[in-house]
Amino acid sequence: MKIAKTYGYLKKDLDCIEVALSNVIQAEHPVLRNAATQLLKAGGKRIRPVFVLLSGQFGNYDLERMKTVAVSLELIHMATLVHDDVIDDAELRRGKPTIRQLYDNRVAMYAGDYILARSLESITMLRKPKAHHVLSKTIVEVCIGEIEQIKDKYDWNQHLRDYLRRIKRKTALLIATSCKLGAIAADVPEALADKLYKYGYYIGMSYQIIDDIFDFTASASELGKPVGNDLLQGNITLPVLLAMKDREFCRLLKNAFSNPDILSETHMHDLLAKLKETDAIQCSYELSDHYLEKALKIVEQLPNNKAKHMLKDIAKYIGKRRS
Amino acid sequence: MNTTGMEFAHIKELIKDKIQHTYLDKYIKKPIIDEEKLFVLLSVMNHTTLTESKKRDYIITTMLVQIALDTHDLVVKTSNSDEGKQQKQEKQLTVLAGDYYSGLYYALLAEAGDFDMIHVLASAIKEINEYKMKLYYLEAESLEVFLQIVRKVESLLFVHTAKFVKEVAVKNLIEEWLLVNRLIHEKQQFYVKGYSPLLDIWSHQNDSEGYAALIKNVDSIINKLLGTIEKSAMELPDYYRDLKMHIINRINGDPTMDTIHVEEG
Repeated sequence: MKIAKTYGYLKKDLDCIEVALSNVIQAEHPVLRNAATQLLKAGGKRIRPVFVLLSGQFGNYDLERMKTVAVSLELIHMATLVHDDVIDDAELRRGKPTIRQLYDNRVAMYAGDYILARSLESITMLRKPKAHHVLSKTIVEVCIGEIEQIKDKYDWNQHLRDYLRRIKRKTALLIATSCKLGAIAADVPEALADKLYKYGYYIGMSYQIIDDIFDFTASASELGKPVGNDLLQGNITLPVLLAMKDREFCRLLKNAFSNPDILSETHMHDLLAKLKETDAIQCSYELSDHYLEKALKIVEQLPNNKAKHMLKDIAKYIGKRRS
Repeated sequence: MNTTGMEFAHIKELIKDKIQHTYLDKYIKKPIIDEEKLFVLLSVMNHTTLTESKKRDYIITTMLVQIALDTHDLVVKTSNSDEGKQQKQEKQLTVLAGDYYSGLYYALLAEAGDFDMIHVLASAIKEINEYKMKLYYLEAESLEVFLQIVRKVESLLFVHTAKFVKEVAVKNLIEEWLLVNRLIHEKQQFYVKGYSPLLDIWSHQNDSEGYAALIKNVDSIINKLLGTIEKSAMELPDYYRDLKMHIINRINGDPTMDTIHVEEG
């Protein structure tokens, strides 16, 4: 979500956050330090810090406090990624070798636990009970969401609501929480903080739906993994759920996955081709747009300032993401 | 196990309730609640003037962190390419279970608005992972140094919690007692399964001595430690009567504490 305008506007503060992130992960053990530093250097969109900073601008914006919150949220996200790579046996992330690939699963587990601990140490500097209620519930919900994702694998009978609940926990909650915590840290009135939370939630839902579409529409080189990888792993995302309304696709799908261990490239090729013949991709974009419209409606209710326009631009930018 | 104040069995049930998760319980082994660690914690908390709910929160959250860390230690070092579906799912759920228990600790203390304790436990996790890395990469020039690291890994969480509630007098005893329990556990693992994950780290790098010599060495360290622990326990103030009696009874009455017995068995 690299919107030059937003990043330019926040550049100075985002640079401070980048330095703080680097300082926080300076572990004593060289391997732990290198692993965390490499993960940080691999980059990332830093969308959580961006939302923290923008939400904070609706209140008493204090960079030190904003930094604490932004760093903590980005670290939580990073810790989740390190453990997710163990879960998925991922070799690459953002085109660079994962920690588990560079070292092994055990080091990745220690690094993830270390990064999460650093995040919690840091966030306790924010002495606001509400912030901790929201964040801790989100962390638990994210874990439950990931467990549900494993439970729902290869379950062809699941419903749209199962998918929506999963992506809410997987992505939308942490983005919504970033908005809310930024607001709380800046003493934004509760009603306004709740609106920012909802904005983040809708943006997160839309963003994840588009990511799930890209899994089928982008190239392997753009994705850094095989096309249709989610489906290969047994994760049923929106495009698949919608395409399953087509009888022929449904037949091909169940046939291909009758034994997932011997799933051939031909099977996947046929499946992807058939999925693209249905209206699943188009309908998925429509649902993503529906969430974006909701986000934009919330933006209209926000006080008029520069951050409001940035939040609007981000929503519009997400809506234009196509591959 | 008996303690005055909060009851051991009751608090253990509360922890079990807290970590209960239908799906996880179905597909991965239920976490082990380390009773020695729980007993030490309970003894420390029972002596404080904290409210019952604070004591309960501190015990449950400290144990949740221990369970989370132990759970992540079960994740296989490397994923085999021929890993079956069940093995893979077990690994995935083990990662998530540890994260889930960690999340529960934060949620419980956040609910109580106890920022300081959140910080204390997070700092302990941070330090323990630093020590675990040292163990993993075997950065110890002697068995004594190696065991010093094990001692930290085993006790840091409990020492941090004890310090936080101003119970500093038992620091050394906690460290030695938890170390000796770990060593005895590892030795039992070796006798039962022919393999001790912990001692294996050391023996791999120092195989000139051989496993038999290592076990003999560990036995002598255990004996020495038990002597020191018994002496320290006897000197504990009266309000630590439960802990004192528990340690002395275990040293003198529990056959697993008798290194010669185990060796002959």
